[in-house]
Amino acid sequence: MTTVYERRTALPVAPAPRRSPAGAVLGLLWAGAAAAVALWWAETGSVVGAAGWLTGVGRIAGLLCGYACAVLVGLMARVPLLERRVGSDRVARWHAMAGRYTICLLVVHVVFILLGYAAQDRASIVHETVTVVLDYPDMLKATFGAVILFAVGITSARAARRRLSYEFWYYVHLLTYVAVFLAFFHQLSLGNEFNGNAAATDAWYALYLGVAALVLWYRILAPVRLNLRHRLRVESVHKEAPGVYSVVVRGRHVDELGAEAGQFFRWRFFGEGMGWTSTPYSLSAPPRRDLLRITVKALGDHSAAVPLLRPGARVWAEGPYGSLTAERRTAQRSLLIAAGVGITPLRALFETLPGDVTLLYRARTAQDLALGAELEAIAQWRGAKVLYALNGPQGQRPSLGPASLREAVPDLAGHDVYICGPHAFAQELYGALRAAGVPDRRIHHESFEL
Amino acid sequence: MHPLKKSRPLRRIVLASAVTASGLVMLLALKPHTAPAIAVAPAPAASSSSGAGSGTGSSGSTATGTKTVTGETAQTRWGPVQVKITVKNGKITDVTAVQSPSDNPRDQEINSYALPELRREVLAAQSSSIDTVSGATYTSDGYRQSLQSALDSAGL
Repeated sequence: MTTVYERRTALPVAPAPRRSPAGAVLGLLWAGAAAAVALWWAETGSVVGAAGWLTGVGRIAGLLCGYACAVLVGLMARVPLLERRVGSDRVARWHAMAGRYTICLLVVHVVFILLGYAAQDRASIVHETVTVVLDYPDMLKATFGAVILFAVGITSARAARRRLSYEFWYYVHLLTYVAVFLAFFHQLSLGNEFNGNAAATDAWYALYLGVAALVLWYRILAPVRLNLRHRLRVESVHKEAPGVYSVVVRGRHVDELGAEAGQFFRWRFFGEGMGWTSTPYSLSAPPRRDLLRITVKALGDHSAAVPLLRPGARVWAEGPYGSLTAERRTAQRSLLIAAGVGITPLRALFETLPGDVTLLYRARTAQDLALGAELEAIAQWRGAKVLYALNGPQGQRPSLGPASLREAVPDLAGHDVYICGPHAFAQELYGALRAAGVPDRRIHHESFEL
Repeated sequence: MHPLKKSRPLRRIVLASAVTASGLVMLLALKPHTAPAIAVAPAPAASSSSGAGSGTGSSGSTATGTKTVTGETAQTRWGPVQVKITVKNGKITDVTAVQSPSDNPRDQEINSYALPELRREVLAAQSSSIDTVSGATYTSDGYRQSLQSALDSAGL
């Protein structure tokens, strides 16, 4: 009898986190690469002499490069499964990693095919290059495509990226679509594997057209539909802390967007000083019936103009994206750790996350605490705890090591931890949490560091 | 790997390059490295030694005992290949390609070195058991097939 009671009063069972489809997606992508290599294998009889080896390397690299181009574009097509379930940050990291690899494959493809053909024809490499580029079908287009891809690769390298404006990088990156289109045709007209192989040709068309359809739908048509339907406009702008502003956006049926606390949209504001590029900002409150709110630190470029936004200004939004939501939960207790303006998604989660919630808010001074009053109100309303980690009077940083974390949050290892803040801060906290016994799968974070 | 774990880019680059390079070499190494000496299937229904069979090879002869025989057209993946042989006193004295793949510049370039090489091999071997010219696998195969049918027609 008593056991029945005990069972009913025991802690509720920990929620089963929804499994991320990341593993399945990665498996599928690798299987595609294996299929491309298998195509080469099936279509190649023998590899004879130096020319055979060189051309063989060039062909395999070329096939993989062609496949990778489709994957790269597909990963950035803003497919909801990838953006919301796998996570925008993770997909962006895959894209960056695959992008670097693709540029390397492209170099190998170009160099080895030319060396192989030159060896076969007993011609000089210069003569062979001129012949291949000018006389072979579709090769002039493909050469332009390769040059564009190199430019995209160079402008995305870390060293170059730091010196270039976001806008410049972005517009060069957009040329990738042109490059992939230009390079497509030589693959079919000259590819040893596709000539006379209708099945392979059809599969290649299906791959490229499928990716094109994803881009057209999710990058163009879906956002147009969203903005025509919801008609978003700036409602008001509030100052939250020095340099930190909240923007309230009003739209029709905003609650039907399906946005959850912890997610973000990509925003374009139509006003003075606003460029044409979109910027990701997290929702700083759960969506209301016809209101959304973001909180932004005016840093530079686009965000510096945010405080100047006038009520009524038009807004173009794409989303919701991101996977830092309640879905990640594996335990009954959660600890939210925010640094600076990183409070935004965690403020929304602080209101909606089920179970016991503790918020740890790191800022330099009490004046830098944005949204402080509403955090206190939420804490009181739901019986949650807010801890602040401010600098000392002489500016010394508070300790956020394993010992002090464990002391501040009893049963730390039994918590899901959500972290949002600058990358260095998140890495430091990650180290401390691991040392305090929190397992990897319970540390949730979205990082856009590539 | 957790995204917040310190990544080691250099280690990753070295690993990826090593895996890719060894994968490529392994794939290529697993393939045969000799030119396939493909057994030529006997030409279907060897046609009469001098008459032109319907749609097959044709031949003509001159008074001096020199005769030319054109082999059947062999269809390859890159296009048709057909050869004509000149026979004098039971000896092949010349081979020319009547047709060879020429749809694109790459084919023409391959022909420019493969056809003379194949001709040299035939004149030396006096038969259709000739080696494949590297980089011209399909053309070599077609060449052999057409040659064999011409030899059959010529009764060699």
